[in-house]
Parts: sequence; structure tokens; C-alpha cells
Amino acid sequence: MDLLIPLMVIIPITCALFLNLLYKKDRTVKTIAILAALTLPALPILANYGLHYFGGYAPLANNTIPNTSLPPLITGTALNVFHPAITYSFQSAQKLFVFILGLVALLAIFISLYETRRPSGVYAYMMFMGVAAVTAILLTDDIFNLYVFFEIAALATVGMVLVSQIEGNYETALKYMIMGNIAGPLLLLGIALLLGVTGNVNITDIIYALKNGLVNPHSPVVLMACGLIVFGWLYGSGLPPFHTIKSGMYSKALPHGAALMQAFSVFIFVAMGIIILRIFSYLPFSKLVILGVSLVAMILGITMAIQQTDIKRMIGFLAVGELGYIGIGIGLGTTFGITAGLFQAVNEALLTALVFIGFGTVLYQTGISDTRELGGLMLKNPMVALVVLLSGFALAGIPPFNAFQSKLLLIQSSVQAGLPELGVIMILLSIVTFMTFMKAFHAVYMRPMPIDLEIKNKKIPNATIISMLVLLTVCLIIGLFPQLAIGYLQPLAASLAGGVP
Amino acid sequence: MNLYDFILKRIKAIQEKTDAEGPITNISASSVLTAEITLISTILLAVSMLRLVNKSLMIVAVLLVLFTAILAMPLMPRIKRELNDSLAYMMFYMILALAIIITLFYWGSLNV
Repeated sequence: MDLLIPLMVIIPITCALFLNLLYKKDRTVKTIAILAALTLPALPILANYGLHYFGGYAPLANNTIPNTSLPPLITGTALNVFHPAITYSFQSAQKLFVFILGLVALLAIFISLYETRRPSGVYAYMMFMGVAAVTAILLTDDIFNLYVFFEIAALATVGMVLVSQIEGNYETALKYMIMGNIAGPLLLLGIALLLGVTGNVNITDIIYALKNGLVNPHSPVVLMACGLIVFGWLYGSGLPPFHTIKSGMYSKALPHGAALMQAFSVFIFVAMGIIILRIFSYLPFSKLVILGVSLVAMILGITMAIQQTDIKRMIGFLAVGELGYIGIGIGLGTTFGITAGLFQAVNEALLTALVFIGFGTVLYQTGISDTRELGGLMLKNPMVALVVLLSGFALAGIPPFNAFQSKLLLIQSSVQAGLPELGVIMILLSIVTFMTFMKAFHAVYMRPMPIDLEIKNKKIPNATIISMLVLLTVCLIIGLFPQLAIGYLQPLAASLAGGVP
Repeated sequence: MNLYDFILKRIKAIQEKTDAEGPITNISASSVLTAEITLISTILLAVSMLRLVNKSLMIVAVLLVLFTAILAMPLMPRIKRELNDSLAYMMFYMILALAIIITLFYWGSLNV
């Protein structure tokens, strides 16, 4: 067992709790937060692949010391392979996901500490707690453990909005909580039903029970559980019908907070989507529902985005729309499609964070996010405008950036799966994404500056500019060398597709 | 009256009903027009995937969607009005989505 695997969750949680105690001790908060944030992308690089059993309780079959004292009732049955401990699985795909999440978190925390003159321990607490929760969701093989961290991630997201001090933030956060109070317990009910029929919360064991006839896979209880877990997945990732409130949450958070929140959504989407595929892929409707919901998310997200006048709301809707691309790949169910979907997830987490942070500089300078009241900012910061423009190119899938590679793979995989219509829809929506972005870019940077527009902060913090350049560079590197990311994702995709190329 | 004027007129009518703030500019009208065309074309493309189930069903569905879209145009301002920040609207669509998902998995898996 590699002890670094649980540390990926334990360090941010410990740091969050500790920072909360240091309220108003700004310099100490800054130092500890930066040091802890640096470990977030570093740990997944250093950790070895493997499984971690909390408490050290490995399945009996894996026990190297033969236990002859146990009766055949245990050693000769499924009990021999069941997992008694909460198990964390760290493989190549998790390595890449946790690294990207850690990188976005590092940059978001870095910006928050420098843009906020008095960095509050509470805000940093929320960010670290959210990162710990989403990392655990990515690593865990225990569905109840997933639920616990799912709720922590939702609460951390609400907390990040509550402390943003943006007008209307309390109302939006309250609505999100109310909807979470319905979706969360329904997810828990789905998990309870699975526990009820299989007697297990370990995902590998649940799959074993379903595939080996220990439980009727078409039992109404299992079907109901599937429906409820899918519903929880929609809430966690902000897919329709939760896309309106999710985009509202993004718009009521600080830009770096929104950048981190969308990374949470992307990785919760991926983690739960993988679990749904692993457990329920035998149901004919599972992939169809993933495809259908993703298609609706793409269409509604992007068509709603183009009509927005608030830049943060616009990016929020675009983020929801981009989630749909990931879902299309996963829903196709082929190795090629799932690889493309997971690759798109990695790219989206980076790109949407970059766009949020890029347009966040406008909010930092002017305090305004309504495009009708903005203009002429290119003259103030031509370099920042160029980086924002490039981030928009990347988001729309223009070469040589990363999303071009993943969107191309998605289109190819949809054609290969016999659904070229999906490819045409993705091309069409990428064009509209580009139009949406250019509309906002023109309004903010290229139009003559309104006479009454006041620049409150002339200088954009170096931390923000450095973060943007780091994200842009990573996007460019992955765009030029896509195999760097794809190589990590292919083993998981192949196992999920079950041999379908 | 050309299509652009027709859509502009409908947007104004819907905007008056919803007490939406701000004037209707060329940018907002063209945004709605783009969204409208995108919505209809993507739905038509999505419906054409019904060919995998039955080709006749696909033809009927495409024609039905096309006529409905033409008759109900513009759709986008209505969708925007439905997908607002009101908790009541969001709860309604949440319950609707839950009903659809449970029906698909529960009834669909047992009967289809």
C-alpha cells in the first residue's frame, strides 16, 4: 500500500481545518495555504499506483498469510473476495485527474490569496475542503464514502459562494442548498437500495454480486437505485435540470472560486459517470440516458450561453454545455469514445478555469460583469486580452490547443460508433461556442470604452497573470502532445468499454 | 415581414410579458436568432438518430419537430423564460426530470 494515496485527501482536509483556526492571521494563512496547495498537484505525481485499504483490511483472497482457521463457508464463497475496508483505487486515470484538479486548485488558491487583501481562513477552508472531497470522490471504490464526500463538496461549493460578497449570492446559495436537500437524500436512497440488495457498499463487490448472480440485476430495487443514483449525478455535476442553478452558482462566486467549482463539477461528473457505467452498463437505458442528458446539456447550455449579457453567467452556461461533450464520449460506451470523453474532461477543467480567471480580471478591474456596461479594456491590458482571446480559441476547439484534439477524437468516435449526427451536432455547437465567446470578447475588449466606466484596480495581480499563463501553457502542451494525457486514460476507458474498441 | 422582423416582434412581445430589463439591441436579437437556429437544427439532428430504431418513425418525428418548431417559433425566448432563476420553476423541472429518469430505468428496463 502506498501511504501517499490517502494523503491526497488527508492533507487538504487537515489544512482546511487548521486554516479555519487561523482566522485573521493573514500572513500565516497565506504561507500555510501556499505550501499545502503545492502538495495538491505534487502528491499524485509522487504516488505509486495501487489500492489503499483504510485500516489495512484487505480482502481475504489478497491476504498473503494463509488463514487456515477460517471455515470454507467464508474462504470458499464470495466473502473471500469482498472488501471489508473503505478502498481507494489510484490508477493512471486517477493520477491525471487528481493532478489536474490539484493544479487548478493550486492556481485558484494562489490567485485568491493575492487578489484578496485580507485572505480569510474560512474561504481557504472551503477551497481545501472542496478539493479534498472531490479527490476522495475520484479515488474511492466505496459508494457510501462517495456520498459523504459528495455532500461535503456540495457544502464547500455553497460556502465558496456565501463568502463571495457578490450581490444575490445568499439567495442563489440557498436555492442550491434546497435543491441539494432533495437530490442528495435521493442519491443516498439509491445507495441504500443497492446496499439492501447486495449487502455491500464497495463498488467492485456490488458489480461482483450483480454479475455472478448473487443478486437479480433486473430486480426493481436495483433499477430504482440506478435511477436515483443517476439523478444524484445530475445534481452533482450540474446537468439539466440543475444547469440553471449551477450556472447561477458560478456567477455568484469569485472568478477563481468559479474556476475551482467548475473543476469540481467536471470531476464529479466523470467519477460518478464512471461508477454508473461500471455498475449499470448492462442496462440498455444506462448509456442512452447518459447520451440523452449530455445532448440536452450541450444544446441548452450553449444556446442559453449566447443569450447572456453577464460574462460569468455566460461562462457558467458554456461550462455546462462543455460537460455534455464529456458525457457524449462516456455514453458512446466504446474505448475510443470513453477515452475521448475523459480527455475532454481534463481539457475542460483546464480551459474553463482559464476562461473564468481571464474574464475574472475584468471583474477585478471594474467590478462589473455585465457586457452592456463594459468596453475598451484591450487598451488597458493588451497582453491579458490576448491570453483571454487564446483561451476562447482553445475552448471552442481551435488548433493547436487541447480541446481541438479531444473534440476531434469525440467526433471521430461518434462516427465510428455509427452516430455521425452526434459529430455534426458537436461541430455546430463548437461554432456557436466560438460565436458566444467572440461576442463577449468584442463587448468587453474591442468596443469603445463607455464614458462612465470606472477602472477601480488598474493593475492586475501578477499571481493572476502567472496562473493564466500556466494554464494556457498546459493547454498548449496537451494540444501539441495529446498522447501525454491520452496514455493515462486509455486503460480505464478500455476496462469500462469491456472490450468494445 | 421577413423572418428577422418576425422574430424581433415576438421577442419584444415576450420581453414585455416578462418585464425583462434593457432595450432589444441588434446583438441580443442576433443572439436569440443564432440560438433559435442552433436549437432547431440540433434537435432535428438528434431526432434523426431515431433511424436506428425505425426509419419510418424517424421521418414522422423529424416532420413533427419541424412543423412544431415553425409554428411555435421563436422557441428560445420561451425556453429562456422557463429556465429562469425562480425556485418554483427549477423545482418543477427537477421533479419532471426525476419522473422521466425513474420511468426510463424502472418501467423501461422491465417492459422494453
